[in-house]
Amino acid sequence: MMQPELKEVIEVDHLSKLYKLGTIGTGSLRQDFQYWWNKSVLKKPNPFFDLQNDESSLDQKDFIWALRDISFKVNKGEALGIIGSNGSGKSTLLKIISRIVRPTHGAVKGNGKLSSLLEVGTGFHEELTGRENIYISGYTLGMKKEEIRRKFNEIVSFSGVEKFIDTPVKRYSSGMYVRLAFAVAAHLEPDILIVDEVLAVGDSDFQKKCLSKMREVSQSDGRTILFVSHSMQAINNLCDRALWLDHGVMKEIGKTSVVVNKYISNVQKLNIQQSWNTPEEAPGNDNLRFKHVELIPQQLAPGAPLDIRTPFTVKFQFWNFLDNVQLNSGLVLFAYSGECIFDLLSPIALCNKGIVEGECHIPGNFLNDGPYYISINVVRDTSVPLFNFEECLSFELEDYRGGLQYYGKWWGAVRPQFPFQLAQKEFIVL
Amino acid sequence: MQKAQLKWQWEITSRTSYRIEDIKALWSYRHFLFSLVRREFLLNYQQTVLGPFWLIFPPLVTLVTYILVFNKMVGISTGTIPPVLFYFSGIVLWNFFSDCWSGTSTTFKENAHLFSKVYFPRIIIPVSLVCTHFLRFLLQFIFLLCIAGFYIFFRDLKVAFNFWLLVLPLAIICVGLIGLGMGLLFSVLTAKYRDISNLVTLGVRLLMFVTPVIYPLTSIPQRWRILVEINPLTSFFEIFRKGLLGEGTVNLGMFLYSFLFTIFISFGGLMIFNKQGDKLIDVV
Repeated sequence: MMQPELKEVIEVDHLSKLYKLGTIGTGSLRQDFQYWWNKSVLKKPNPFFDLQNDESSLDQKDFIWALRDISFKVNKGEALGIIGSNGSGKSTLLKIISRIVRPTHGAVKGNGKLSSLLEVGTGFHEELTGRENIYISGYTLGMKKEEIRRKFNEIVSFSGVEKFIDTPVKRYSSGMYVRLAFAVAAHLEPDILIVDEVLAVGDSDFQKKCLSKMREVSQSDGRTILFVSHSMQAINNLCDRALWLDHGVMKEIGKTSVVVNKYISNVQKLNIQQSWNTPEEAPGNDNLRFKHVELIPQQLAPGAPLDIRTPFTVKFQFWNFLDNVQLNSGLVLFAYSGECIFDLLSPIALCNKGIVEGECHIPGNFLNDGPYYISINVVRDTSVPLFNFEECLSFELEDYRGGLQYYGKWWGAVRPQFPFQLAQKEFIVL
Repeated sequence: MQKAQLKWQWEITSRTSYRIEDIKALWSYRHFLFSLVRREFLLNYQQTVLGPFWLIFPPLVTLVTYILVFNKMVGISTGTIPPVLFYFSGIVLWNFFSDCWSGTSTTFKENAHLFSKVYFPRIIIPVSLVCTHFLRFLLQFIFLLCIAGFYIFFRDLKVAFNFWLLVLPLAIICVGLIGLGMGLLFSVLTAKYRDISNLVTLGVRLLMFVTPVIYPLTSIPQRWRILVEINPLTSFFEIFRKGLLGEGTVNLGMFLYSFLFTIFISFGGLMIFNKQGDKLIDVV
């Protein structure tokens, strides 16, 4: 059975999937019959849509290409991450590879046993006990009786629900339920494992356990993993290569860090520069009008996404129409939820008619990850507001955690790196 | 070229086939099948007060009703067979058939969620249902044998051994297979066209009237008999009573007709289920 010269375990070959929108499930019998009659009896092309001959006529609003002409190969022992925004076709791709749905065109070819984990707790039944559910869920996922029996104790201790193993799972807390369900899945031993976003559940401790289990599986046992996640951290840590899907089209495939960076910089909500040539069209009022606002990140590498480590500078210029005024400026940073993170005030400056420029530096390793926006206001004599330029800049900071194996949402409005020490103080035999 | 064909162990394309799945692959799922059957029993009888009593109770109530209505009020003759045995045998076998048919005909609708999350040969689900109903039937059948024994030993009922007793197991299996075949066919249809599920309920109810469940075939006037005889289930029901209780109207021709129909419907249902099953996930 062993064929070491075979390196590729999956080949996805020009895969496309077309979904019919709208009247799904209520297709009329007459239409189906006519289709069948034309196709099978008269050997005529399909009157409703003939895929081979005229694909362009298909691009009506009744149809949607969930996947379009996807081709790639996965090698043995490799972990491939699949990224993309919602509705980009990630799940459809996994479902086709898992044999759950059929492609419209193209093929998936593979070697070895494949198991897929598209949700936590597939095959679980509320009324049954933990023990019964381990078996039935194991079978559903394609395990053998012997295999489950052999690993039963391991599964139970991995999940940590030993005491409740003979209690119906409907009495479990949701955490226990998820842990038990994942424990079964984590002990699958297929050649190819397909995982869809299952790490989004469970507490952080358990997530860590699952992820290290998955890494162990892919690295030591030479198994292949296809992994969909919205957590770029998890993808970065687990996967060797990444595939970026965008509206059903393959945008990029390659080394994880490269693809992930491209993906992030593409999807980040960015509005980091605005300029106006003449005061007439610029935002403002009779007192002043903005000429230019800009956020300049000091990227660690060219093309790298903005992450929590990136320091940046906010620069702005405005036309000042007032002579001999004491102006100062405020920079207010909001989280996207509308919560104010901070309000910075500039020193007071004596200004005359002309262009006034401001600059503010915000260090890296200070803000938490997430989307933010900035408003800039100008105040006269420290108390008379002249103009508030709301939401003039917006940006998003990506998460960065280095080697830290924790993938839950990091708490807090900010994430500063204050000095923090921890060391062994004394040795005591306890 | 040869090598390229050998290279991949499996392939997924848009084509689905009528081919009946690899028996070996199905065999490897046998434990799954057993555990589904077990689950069904656990779920049905575990947390109920009366437990397994529910296996026997509903057909007994039906039996009392049928005896009252059809035997006492309407006055249908059951021949030499005591009404209790006559109706109970009909009810037990009919329930087996109707449970198989209506149970499996909602395979896709009921399991849409499971089917959209994991792959296994889809046929496992309807087969496990039929197995569950078969076990239930078996327990009721044993109960029927007990009643028959009571009549034979204490009420001097004479049952002559006949050739059809040997065919009886096959007849029971065929009834299950017709139920399964119809169910498979209708599971595809109900997934595609929702209206059809109402038809199944109606069909089961109406079909009972052209099956000798509540009357013996002999009680039908000759010119209407064809209506009942054309029903492939008829001969199996008559065999069931003939073999077990010694009275029934059946001949080899009728049996062969029913048997061929069984093969036709079960294979047909299976093929259509295989061909359409993998495509239906997009629709349900």
